[in-house]
Amino acid sequence: MKEEMYEFRLHGRGGQGIVVAASIFAEAVFLEGRYARAFSLFGAERRGAPVTAFIRAGTDRLMPRSRIYQPNFAAVFDPTLSGETMLSGLKEGGTLLVNIEEEDLDNLPGDALEGNRFRIYAVDATGIARRHGLTVAGFPVVNTVMLGAMAGVSGLASVDNLVVSIKKRITASLEANINAVNEGADKVREVGDLVR
Amino acid sequence: MAYELISGCQAAALAAQRAGVDLVAAYPITPQTAIVETLASFEAQGELKGEFVSVESEYSALSYCNGAVAAGARVFTATSSHGLAYMHEMTQWCSGARFPIVMVNVNRTVGAPWVLDPDQGDSLSQRDTGWMQIYCANAQEVFDITLQAFLLSEELLLPTMVVFDGFYISHTYEPVDVPEMEQAREFIGPPQFQAQVVPGIQANLHGLSTGEAQLQLVRKRHEDMLRAPEIFADINNRFEKVFGRGYMPVEAVIPEGAKTAFLAAGSTAETVRWFLPELESCGLIQLRMFRPFPKDELGRIVEEHGLDRLIIVDRNCSTGTGGYFAQETRAALYGLNERPVVQDLLLAGGIDLTEDILAGAAQKSPGDGFVDLQWGVELR
Repeated sequence: MKEEMYEFRLHGRGGQGIVVAASIFAEAVFLEGRYARAFSLFGAERRGAPVTAFIRAGTDRLMPRSRIYQPNFAAVFDPTLSGETMLSGLKEGGTLLVNIEEEDLDNLPGDALEGNRFRIYAVDATGIARRHGLTVAGFPVVNTVMLGAMAGVSGLASVDNLVVSIKKRITASLEANINAVNEGADKVREVGDLVR
Repeated sequence: MAYELISGCQAAALAAQRAGVDLVAAYPITPQTAIVETLASFEAQGELKGEFVSVESEYSALSYCNGAVAAGARVFTATSSHGLAYMHEMTQWCSGARFPIVMVNVNRTVGAPWVLDPDQGDSLSQRDTGWMQIYCANAQEVFDITLQAFLLSEELLLPTMVVFDGFYISHTYEPVDVPEMEQAREFIGPPQFQAQVVPGIQANLHGLSTGEAQLQLVRKRHEDMLRAPEIFADINNRFEKVFGRGYMPVEAVIPEGAKTAFLAAGSTAETVRWFLPELESCGLIQLRMFRPFPKDELGRIVEEHGLDRLIIVDRNCSTGTGGYFAQETRAALYGLNERPVVQDLLLAGGIDLTEDILAGAAQKSPGDGFVDLQWGVELR
């Protein structure tokens, strides 16, 4: 019998910190007593280019070392990425978490909302990051807000363990990042609830 | 047990640090860069026992190591792909001079064109340079085997290349049990080999010799290297007593009654193992040691389980022949009374090994249009 495994795929752009976010989340999951790994797809890295990172979480240290094609959870750090990319292979009943403002929800890729195939969650990570002063060269750094939201939605990591992991990896604006994690966990909403 | 969530590159750097290396000379190249960065930062923070030398090329990195190891130092370097190709001349000098150097090579395709994916052709093309080669399947193996490699090299006076896949291991962050410095140092101890260069004594090292003399040296080197599987097993027996885990040059997971096995070296071994329950009656042979090739150990596994088909996962291709691991396996098993069919599954270019590819390869049997060389890309 195979052990259960939960797979995340993170979509973002170079500079948003999704690779670091994936390892922070994996460590927080590990601190909860599960096994976890984080990895990413590499090309010629440059700011603004699409970047994909992955997390596997489970109970056994044996896991495949292939890419993730059918995730349980897709986290979209940048809503301007193509809907096709973010929904590709997402399992029926899987979770889609998007960094998006409430008034932009109509802009979610059309078929994401159709047929109740996915559980969709939204958080205005860009707005929250800006309010906490988390910007680099004017661009919002949304990764800690998104981490809080991922923790809140998946239940696989606690905010406390995220903070333990963040402290090991992030030194700049530590307090603002910790506040951002908490606000991300707090403000994330299931889109179905918002629409109704 | 002190688990840390680290990457394969960080695991390699920590192993060199825990081994108490006297010298690191290395040049950064993707995907090995994090090894160099981590060791450089250890030195900057006063956490590296020895010296970190930032050289201007891989050729100089290995030359620098040669000089230091001749003086009795424990040395370490790391590279990938074009960096290893650039070291090629010096790699042979190391083994000829019997320098016990430990190098990590992180697999990356060799161009043209520029490709970052983890084709194994970089390390495999150094097959005949007189280095031992050990392939790791995860970051824990990277740490443990890099540490052990110093003992293996110093015992046999031969260099060791510890190899693992770019990205699938180098840039994957996973829990690794990293022993405390004192515990690791106590296990490995100080270098025991004799320096070839002694300050104050003039000597001419490895100067002009003759073919007759070289024959004796080549023969001795070959015979010494053949002892590596046994020494590696001894080191791992001791390692297991201290750290609770150990490795063999080749290991097998064969379900009851399975007559087909995949053979994989590196990270693909874990992917095969994960998907075994989905593959009808297939087993896995994980090959760690590639040089020397563990011929006897592999033959014993095949005979013990009565395997009649091996599917070799080759994330590489020797142009004009096929995968290196398949060639080596065929040669190693040629003397068996009951030889298994050896089918080569090529993932050249460093492509991802998926369940579809594994299932497709497992289905192709000698009865239904069997081919001995199959491109993984056609099975996706």
